[in-house]
Amino acid sequence: MIYCDKHTRILVQGATGNQGAFHIDLMNQYARSVGGAGVVAGVTPGKGGQDVHGVPVYDTVREAQAAHDTEASVIFVPAGAAADSIMEAADAGIETIVAITEHIPVHDVMRAVAYARSCGSAVIGPNCPGLLSPGECRLGIMPSPLFQRGPVGVISRSGTLTYEVVDELTRAGIGQSTVVGIGGDPVIGETFVDCIERFSEDSLTKAVILIGEVGGALEIEGAEAALSLDLPLVAYIAGISAPKEKRMGHAGAIIEGGEGDAASKIQRLEAMGITVAARPSELPSKIRELL
Amino acid sequence: MKLLEYEAKKVFSTFGIPIPASILITSATEASGACQKIGGSVVLKAQVDVGGRGKAGGILMATADDADAVATELFQKEIKGLPVKEVLVEERLPIQKEYFVSIAIDRSTRSPVILFAEAGGVEIEETAGERPDAVRSAHVSPLFPEVPGFILRYLTRGCEKEIIPVISALYRVFREKDALLAEINPLVVTPAGVLAADAKLIIDDNALARQGITANRDLTEREAEAEAHGFSYVELDGSIGVIGNGAGLTMSTLDLIAHHNGAAANFLDVGGGADSDRVMHAVRLVASDPAVKVIVVNLLGGITRCDEVARGIIAAGVSQQVIVRLAGTNEAEGRALLEGAGYRMLDTMEDAVVAAVLEASS
Repeated sequence: MIYCDKHTRILVQGATGNQGAFHIDLMNQYARSVGGAGVVAGVTPGKGGQDVHGVPVYDTVREAQAAHDTEASVIFVPAGAAADSIMEAADAGIETIVAITEHIPVHDVMRAVAYARSCGSAVIGPNCPGLLSPGECRLGIMPSPLFQRGPVGVISRSGTLTYEVVDELTRAGIGQSTVVGIGGDPVIGETFVDCIERFSEDSLTKAVILIGEVGGALEIEGAEAALSLDLPLVAYIAGISAPKEKRMGHAGAIIEGGEGDAASKIQRLEAMGITVAARPSELPSKIRELL
Repeated sequence: MKLLEYEAKKVFSTFGIPIPASILITSATEASGACQKIGGSVVLKAQVDVGGRGKAGGILMATADDADAVATELFQKEIKGLPVKEVLVEERLPIQKEYFVSIAIDRSTRSPVILFAEAGGVEIEETAGERPDAVRSAHVSPLFPEVPGFILRYLTRGCEKEIIPVISALYRVFREKDALLAEINPLVVTPAGVLAADAKLIIDDNALARQGITANRDLTEREAEAEAHGFSYVELDGSIGVIGNGAGLTMSTLDLIAHHNGAAANFLDVGGGADSDRVMHAVRLVASDPAVKVIVVNLLGGITRCDEVARGIIAAGVSQQVIVRLAGTNEAEGRALLEGAGYRMLDTMEDAVVAAVLEASS
């Protein structure tokens, strides 16, 4: 598994909001079921001293760090303040920062991710469901009942489409090592390349599914990394029927200036020798061939 | 959201970028007056949001004598399907040389990238092919408040020194206006100095509120209504209405429709945790498109409750057939409600899509 395991002590920023409190509970239910450390502290400015489902809340990340020395943070802070929260977590030395928040202005994301990377932190997201390593750690909002532990790593720009694929994999008896939702924004922290580099060093992971969509060229860069690292890879690209210059739900899912459309991505991947599934339902059989 | 040329120029000007003398008119009768105020010959530029505006006949030359007649011709035109409602009357520039400067976001490096070329207008690609050294680019760390001098010198080496403050100012526009793209093409050199002869500015939709922009004009009426409900909605040309949760799953549903030789009428992502009210509004919105013959609902999620979704579909009570694929919490209750009300619920997205394509073609 990558980015987190059973021992990962988790911080939640935006702990007292609806989403934060709800997912602290779910993350800790999961941690209890697998014997993991789970969420040990929360942060909401002005709410220090309270607790959420038994988890102590602090005003600042530094105070939470001094008491709990967490390794990962999950951010549910509203869009206007979320980039600042990413930088606060990085500044306090947290290694893995998962930003669930949607609609953060892209200039804020660029600045926060650049700062976090300069601190040596990995940012997952924003606008993502986080990650889940079955049997180890739920670091985000993915619905854990669909998952099963096994040899396939999954990296995706999407949320529900990932659950669809994970559900099909589990039904086909193919388990997952870690499933990472890297986010649907034009600028994100960890890309396909970063995840593939980590998966290539993970002993549990034997092959990877890459779920991409229209916009940008991150899928191609990811596939190049997988080839150079000899990591077996199957891809699926959503948006073959998406029109040009229209944002398809995700801020990053847009074909701009005639670039980043699904057909040319699929063509380039196939030219590199990568297997591309035409439909999500084909992924289990295609990945089985590589195991 | 894309700004029109005159709006972008106004922004550029407040940041100190020189722009040509110009007057915006909304009727042809104002043209000769505007022309006289500016003095000499002018260019009439249709303010429509399309690429290749000049080639499509949206830019015309005029003098004080024929300005009204030329403006009348321009106001009667449609430029790539868009009516001309506003025209920018601008001084005609004695151009000695043209440059290109564009600032955008590079997703791979997660940073702004400045592209500069020693050629402007429509010839940039040609120039890039013939003289690769004439086209230069540089990334700027998002942690820098402005473009460092060494980058400016690298980009503009051998060119007029007046270009440097223009690129500097354009970068300030890019940052302070939350731009996805800030572009001057061409940036022209005249005896009087350098000027932005055209201007492009696209603002990040996620930053419209803090930029004081209340309505996104890029949206159609139905798209704006969808946005008010918090849905992501895009109109398409087919007859199968689509509702999904999550952008990827909804896109994938559209693709599956195309795969089975159907045509989707729209993309609608209801977002996470949709309750019956949201689902009802989504179904009614999609059904309000007269082209929609059948609607496919594909929802999957941990926090989306299937009984809520079923209630929303039933409450919408639309005339078109609604075919449903639901998976998640309270799936059995949702199925019972839908089947009790005579709706079809299918187990997989593939089954639901195949049924919808069949219904649309019957």
